[in-house]
Amino acid sequence: MKAQKTLFACLLMAMLTATTLPAIADVTLPNVDNKYVTVKEINPTRDAGYVVGDKLERTIILTVKKPYELIKESLPIVGYEHRYRGQVSGVELANISVEDETFSDRSVHTIHLIYQVFKSGRVVRPAILRGEIVKLRHNGKTELRQLRFPSFNFRTSPLSVYGEVNLKNEMSPFIPPFTIDTKKEEQALKIAAGVLALSLLGLLYILGARTWLPRMGGAFAKAYRSVGKLPDNQQGLQQAIEVVHQAIQKVAGHSVFGNNVDQFLQEKPAYQPAKPEIERFFNLSRQVFFDSKTPLDLGMPAKQWLRTFCRHMRDCERGLTPDLNSVSKPGAK
Amino acid sequence: MQDQQLADWRAHALKLESEVNKVVVGQESPVRLITTAVFARGHVLLEGDVGVGKTTLLRAFTRGIGGGYQRIEGTIDLMPNDLVYHTYLGEDGKPHVSPGPLLMSGQNLSIFFFNEINRARPQVHSLMLRVMAERTLTAFNKEHYFPHMLVFADRNQVEREETFDIPSAARDRFMMEIPILVPPAHDIMESLIFDTRFHDVDQLISNVEEDILKFDQLNSFAKVIQDNISATPALRKYALNLWLATKDPLAYGIKVSNVDMKRLVLSGASPRGMGMLLRAARVNAWLNQRDAVIPEDIHAVFHETIAHRLVFSPVYEMRRTEIAREMLSGIVNAVAAP
Repeated sequence: MKAQKTLFACLLMAMLTATTLPAIADVTLPNVDNKYVTVKEINPTRDAGYVVGDKLERTIILTVKKPYELIKESLPIVGYEHRYRGQVSGVELANISVEDETFSDRSVHTIHLIYQVFKSGRVVRPAILRGEIVKLRHNGKTELRQLRFPSFNFRTSPLSVYGEVNLKNEMSPFIPPFTIDTKKEEQALKIAAGVLALSLLGLLYILGARTWLPRMGGAFAKAYRSVGKLPDNQQGLQQAIEVVHQAIQKVAGHSVFGNNVDQFLQEKPAYQPAKPEIERFFNLSRQVFFDSKTPLDLGMPAKQWLRTFCRHMRDCERGLTPDLNSVSKPGAK
Repeated sequence: MQDQQLADWRAHALKLESEVNKVVVGQESPVRLITTAVFARGHVLLEGDVGVGKTTLLRAFTRGIGGGYQRIEGTIDLMPNDLVYHTYLGEDGKPHVSPGPLLMSGQNLSIFFFNEINRARPQVHSLMLRVMAERTLTAFNKEHYFPHMLVFADRNQVEREETFDIPSAARDRFMMEIPILVPPAHDIMESLIFDTRFHDVDQLISNVEEDILKFDQLNSFAKVIQDNISATPALRKYALNLWLATKDPLAYGIKVSNVDMKRLVLSGASPRGMGMLLRAARVNAWLNQRDAVIPEDIHAVFHETIAHRLVFSPVYEMRRTEIAREMLSGIVNAVAAP
């Protein structure tokens, strides 16, 4: 009888043990003191736009200081899927790998987690990579502690939507308002902006007074600036004419006089459109320096005419065709 | 008054040019230069190939200018006294002395034409130096004056045998050395071959109107031109720079192909030469109806008044014409005005 009691007791103990062990595994342990652990997480770079089948890679770098150590068996296993209020989350752990480094005072565990999305919906919905719970053991003692990794929130998107969506039923802060397709307009706007930028650049090139663009440092561009700075008197006029003479000479590579303008134009045909003005310039030079009786009608003050002439020559220098009509307009800039 | 005088004489000068251009075709540029020399009162040396019309050109001018005209041919045995007198036995069997070409026209001598001057000996050149420079000659114990005389001489540089190069001092006496070239236009060349009026030179020359100019007033009128045509400070500076460039072309960055510029120039233009340049430039301005000289007037006479004055190293003398032209073109291209 006594033996029967003993056997019954043993059977009872075994049954109790078998039923309570899983309960021991799921028991909520006290959290480990933060001074013994540090967690560094490397999360996916984007947190939205995941569709069914997409994978999210996450890396947790866990440093555990002595006397605690990580219980490897507490790490999640492949295929594990969180549940919330009895519902599966639809995000499953697809792979896990751990790299361990042990130091005298601590151990570092680099845990690579790959989750795969197995849920889809008709609208964008929030989802979460719940923080995994791992267990730590106090070395030399039976004391166990737990640590919860930080969670990571993201959004899943429908792979495709068939039929009409009743937005009233699917209201979500993640659904942006539907917009009109503006690709064409955007493209046109970009092209127009490009054209405008080029036009502005061209305008600066033509009217610019600085030499920050190629071919802006030409002889006549410099002369144009110099002439503008000279005083508006007889001496200034003489200096201005000398400046223009020097510019012509620099372009030609030799002295140019009234009797070899044709030769100059033959050598530098870019200046051909300005031939009448070049001839008038030499008449002006002759009148100022050599023969005051030289007949000349510029239609405006000589200094002003010279500046216009320089601008036209600068246009020629830049491969443009000068607007010679502007010469006859007093006040032309 | 003087404006009117200048205008009247300009009309005569242009008329002279026009007349000469009728008989000597395709030589407008030399004709203009000789006209310039006539009014600048400078002697002219013509240079060119044989048979290009040098003599015809000078004879045509002589006819238009008027006054006494004398001519002598340069030969190797020509002696200075041949210019002054010649002796002969008269019908009476006695020796006679008569004036030579220089003295024959007396003070009315307007043009003395020395044909092929480089065939004459240096002694003759020496005599001509004095006559050209001073317009006087001492002969028969008497001083003879030739106030209106211009010397026109020609030489050809093709033949060098039995010739005597004119020394630089003699060349400097000539206001201009004008090259006479065959006109390049084919229609003119064809005309020179087939137009019979060119075959008889005397007949051709007779077509030039006589005495278009008053030769004995040319000196005084030349002074009027020089006094009335002005040169501004800018032009003076330009002329000075040109002069300096002839003396030291290297300093102005002038180069001549295959020539060591450090050794090339022994002597640049002389002060007399530059003076003649400006005289000729003033006449050119006047002929172009201007009251003031401009750089283009200087260019118009620059080569012809300066090239023959440059003294080069002997090693470059054989290429004188080509080097002088290139160097002077380089000077015009290098020196700016203003």
